Amino acid sequence: MTIVGFEMKQFPVQVEQPQQGGNIFSRVFDELTAFCRSRSLFILHYCTGCGAIELPPAMTSRFDMERLGISPMVSPRQADILLITGYVSVKTLKRVILTYEQMGSPKYVIGICSCTVNGGMYWQSYATAKKLNDYMPVDLYIAGCMPRPEAVITGLRELMEHIRLGQANGWQDYYRRYDHYLGNQQRLFGETWQTPTDVIAESRHYGLFGEHTLGGHTMLLEQHQNPLEPLTMSLGLDDKTKVGS
Amino acid sequence: MHWSELAIELTLMPLVAFIVGLFMVLMMRKIAARLQRRVGPPLLQPLYDIVKLFSKQTQTSHGLLHEIGIVMAVGGYVAAETLLPVPGMNGVAEKGGMITLLYLTMIPSLGMALGVGQCANPNGSIGISRALTAMLAYDIPFVIVIAGVAMHFGTTNLVDVVAQQQAGGIGSWGATQMPLLALAGLFALQGMLGKQPFEIYVAPAEIATGPMVEMGGKFLGGLFVMQCFQLYTAAVLYVTLFLGGGENWITFLGKSFAVLVIPMSIAFLFPRYRTEDMITMLWKWPVVLGLIGLVFVGS
Repeated sequence: MTIVGFEMKQFPVQVEQPQQGGNIFSRVFDELTAFCRSRSLFILHYCTGCGAIELPPAMTSRFDMERLGISPMVSPRQADILLITGYVSVKTLKRVILTYEQMGSPKYVIGICSCTVNGGMYWQSYATAKKLNDYMPVDLYIAGCMPRPEAVITGLRELMEHIRLGQANGWQDYYRRYDHYLGNQQRLFGETWQTPTDVIAESRHYGLFGEHTLGGHTMLLEQHQNPLEPLTMSLGLDDKTKVGS
Repeated sequence: MHWSELAIELTLMPLVAFIVGLFMVLMMRKIAARLQRRVGPPLLQPLYDIVKLFSKQTQTSHGLLHEIGIVMAVGGYVAAETLLPVPGMNGVAEKGGMITLLYLTMIPSLGMALGVGQCANPNGSIGISRALTAMLAYDIPFVIVIAGVAMHFGTTNLVDVVAQQQAGGIGSWGATQMPLLALAGLFALQGMLGKQPFEIYVAPAEIATGPMVEMGGKFLGGLFVMQCFQLYTAAVLYVTLFLGGGENWITFLGKSFAVLVIPMSIAFLFPRYRTEDMITMLWKWPVVLGLIGLVFVGS
């Protein structure tokens, strides 16, 4: 991912390609799943800004995304793509990260509009996050202010091609370099920032633990971390402290 | 019947049901697309979805019951398929009959209730309470219809019901003999499939697909498989009761798909009722129609 005319700090990105098994059946199976993944994409829209207005035409009769196997879904658990359509304020970004961490892998993030690329017209705003890929791995940017439905669909087709070739591995990067992403998140939200998802334990469980998963920022997280507890459920409607709190 | 033949039939019947169900799901999405002047999904889209969901690399489970619930939801329908006679295969249909089938079609809803209960998601809990309420609503006309058909043919054995209708030709079909019950059955079918205007428990814009809200990966894949079975079961049951079953696979599949076109065409033209409106509607019109139909059957 390169953005012309914009100096980016280069981090070493290490994405290991899955090993090609010698067994022909396992290779066929891998290619089949990769093909099915590319042809069936459930989108979760996180419509933060004006870019959302270009999505209904892309979904409905004029451009019809369903003929490519792309359909909208409503909950992060069911979705494959997190579509962020516009500027991300600091407060919104917390919700975006919570949503992203709840999605099942392989998951892909698409940033639509220039605001997700570099802040766009909100560059000077104190309240917006400028570059989305500082806080979570972005697989694809669709630049424009706003990109038309043709551009959105072209971008989605490109993502489909990447998935089919097994190149859309941004979600693994989040596990392998969690320290980097957490550091940027802490810079915005403060040292006490934590999410209900234990990313480090997940990266160990799924065999995606890399040398940059842990670092200074995750040490800071461990110092401040409250242990995760199941939410208490209560039906005390008379107790005014519980309702709306 | 030799046990090996029975074993082959019991394996083949759910398998055929699944494959036919995939095309039924495709037809549903195509009808929706055509009504909205879209192109719609490609031929194998339902299969792509299911393979993709089962090949997700991280799975979020909420505990043992969450997984057992999905198994119950799919398993209930797999068991139901072996009780539905299809051309050339009867499975255990002669031993089961309508009443057993009626029970088996309720198991998936109960399984989902168990699984969703463990997710502790408020949207899921609302969804499942609505799903069980909906079941209560459509089961009253459904039971009346089943009772009427059983009275008319003098048996609860589905194989006998099909044989009687095929012996007498089109004039002895359930639909021509009992048009009121067939109409009430269509209402119940719409509720059973959970399609608009009775789509109260999925309601994507309101409660985020209700029971499915916490389901991802293999869990959602299981529910997609369940949907295939659900469409097949509802269509084949209606064909068996009212349209004379199938003499061969071509007429059988033709009738099954034709039956499903009716609820699907209605579904994508209407918005959603509220829960109480759905119960009022389903306990009023199809029940009255069914009871009048019962009087004609009894006289």
